Amino acid sequence: MSEPRRVLLLTHDDLAGLIEELAAAGAPAVAPAWAGGAGRAAGALAAPRETEYRTVTGAAELACGERLPRLSLKSLFLPATEVLFSWRRTAGDVELTPAPTDLPARVVLGARPCDAAALPIVDRVMDWDHADELWSARRAATTVFSLACGVEDDSCFCSAVFLDPASDRGADGRLTPVEGGYLVETFSDKGDAFVAAHGGAFGDLPAGAAGGEPLAQAAAFRAAAGERVAANLRLDHERVRDWLEHHFDDPFWATLGPRCNGCGVCSSVCPTCHCFDIVDEPDSVGHGVRRRNWDTCQACVFTLHASGHNPRADQNARYRQRVEHKFLTYPTRFGDVLCTGCGRCSRACPTGQDLTEILADIDGRARGELP
Amino acid sequence: MSDRPAGNLYQPDLVVVEAVTDETPDTRTYRLRFRDPDRAAAFSFRAGQFGEYSVFGAGESTFCIASPPTRTGYFECTVKAAGKVTGGLRQADVGDLLGFRGPYGNAFPVEEWEGRDLVLIAGGIGLAPVRCVIWTVLDRRERYGNVTIVYGARSVADLVYKRELDEWAARDDVRLVVTVDPGGETSDWGGEVGYVTPVVERTAPRAEAAVAVLCGPPVVVKLTLPVLAGLGFADEAVYTTLENRMKCGVGKCGRCNIGSVYVCKDGPVFTAAQLKALPQDY
Repeated sequence: MSEPRRVLLLTHDDLAGLIEELAAAGAPAVAPAWAGGAGRAAGALAAPRETEYRTVTGAAELACGERLPRLSLKSLFLPATEVLFSWRRTAGDVELTPAPTDLPARVVLGARPCDAAALPIVDRVMDWDHADELWSARRAATTVFSLACGVEDDSCFCSAVFLDPASDRGADGRLTPVEGGYLVETFSDKGDAFVAAHGGAFGDLPAGAAGGEPLAQAAAFRAAAGERVAANLRLDHERVRDWLEHHFDDPFWATLGPRCNGCGVCSSVCPTCHCFDIVDEPDSVGHGVRRRNWDTCQACVFTLHASGHNPRADQNARYRQRVEHKFLTYPTRFGDVLCTGCGRCSRACPTGQDLTEILADIDGRARGELP
Repeated sequence: MSDRPAGNLYQPDLVVVEAVTDETPDTRTYRLRFRDPDRAAAFSFRAGQFGEYSVFGAGESTFCIASPPTRTGYFECTVKAAGKVTGGLRQADVGDLLGFRGPYGNAFPVEEWEGRDLVLIAGGIGLAPVRCVIWTVLDRRERYGNVTIVYGARSVADLVYKRELDEWAARDDVRLVVTVDPGGETSDWGGEVGYVTPVVERTAPRAEAAVAVLCGPPVVVKLTLPVLAGLGFADEAVYTTLENRMKCGVGKCGRCNIGSVYVCKDGPVFTAAQLKALPQDY
């Protein structure tokens, strides 16, 4: 955890003012918000309300500290579908127009730390030898303030993947709930620039002993959350990696495939899954776009050769790929793991495939405690 | 890549179709040239590298560069019509504009092979990458020892690069063995009949101081590797290419990995020794 550069306070009222100010300036903040917009009356539906990351114009839309958004922050940087370039045929020519990369600056207020941490993890892939300009441009244009997390539920396991519920990884700044608002800390030039540009919203800590009060409240909040999540899962990554490396053909994988529909929802909701497909989409005769769409290693066609040969012929192999890519392949190539422990895959799986259980199971096998 | 035009990583260069050769009823070779002369001048590649070829409106697909780096000013790919992109390529005619990104991936270490005997084996469309090696070697013939080529196809009609096969057969500094699967021969067929694997065994090239290249359908590669080992080829002296499905070609789309190896970045060229260290995920 890095030392904060600046420590400030943001009251609930000032946060509301900041959100309105940003919206009025034409650059509304992205924040966890109630799904369906502000217009839907609370209690109109019996089902608990979903939250999502989206632009907000008023504090009433905010869902900071509420349920985890169903989709991660990934869509902001790698949209589910996006145009790479457009093409147009004219007489004897083809004109290509790339997707713009001169993007307006934007700020995220209240990202989950597990979502912010995914950004530098995916950076390593997107920057690998050839920089992916579209990803890089969105990263450069975005300032991310995370919100220290109170831990969602038993599916969370950030503390088992080198993070914690208040991790500053990938965050330019962090909010932590304190009495009357948030303690704000900055960690980067972008974070500093944002608080400087909106100085009216951010207050200094009270002078003297009173200034210690919000710091103590924030520390207590973070410590409690850290303790809560640590109970969910512990992993010895070196041991897990070693087991994965030597158990490619283990019968264990055959217990996972039959429980998997291959729907790929785990990849869609995952903050670190970044696999994509590239397809052409003609608009009409003579012009169209080439798109990049999210893809998933859980789909049977993902690795299918034109000849009909499929290296990953069954769901066992496809599920193994998901686990191996995150906990063996990525670690071997880039360090740490391709997972931030957000638990979304376990929550979203229609057949109850639970990554926390699977990892605990693998760790148990690696320790020799399970057959 | 500094020599790229404005755009992004996924935006191809425009290439002009200079020639189209029918190889078989379903397979064609396209000779391509960069439309931008500066790009053409800056372009170079090594034997074994691949590219992403696109037909605007149909999409993009991965093929090796089938022509040798020793011949400049153009490059070629040989494509069997099988899906949407290859079907779209089928419509491409001389003068048409296609897209190309590349070259990507590693290469055959042809310089390291100088002074050694070469055994170049291909099954089916696997002759495309091997052809790149063959011409690279034949264009600098004096640098290599004996050259043996073993090529097998399903039937006589499925043989690609027929004129070049005749050319290689006519040379006295190349030993060419061409075979077709049993039942694929015609009444006037003068070559071998049998699958590639037993024909390699029968041809029995000398393994001493030799390097083998083996490209073809996964099953041909899997079955022929042990035969080469039996002939005395060390795993480090046997090279093949993996043809995993790819989209981006540059290590991002997550499709082509085998264990911790990315075929697009670490391959497509691997030695048999490297293959043995990989999980069976190809």
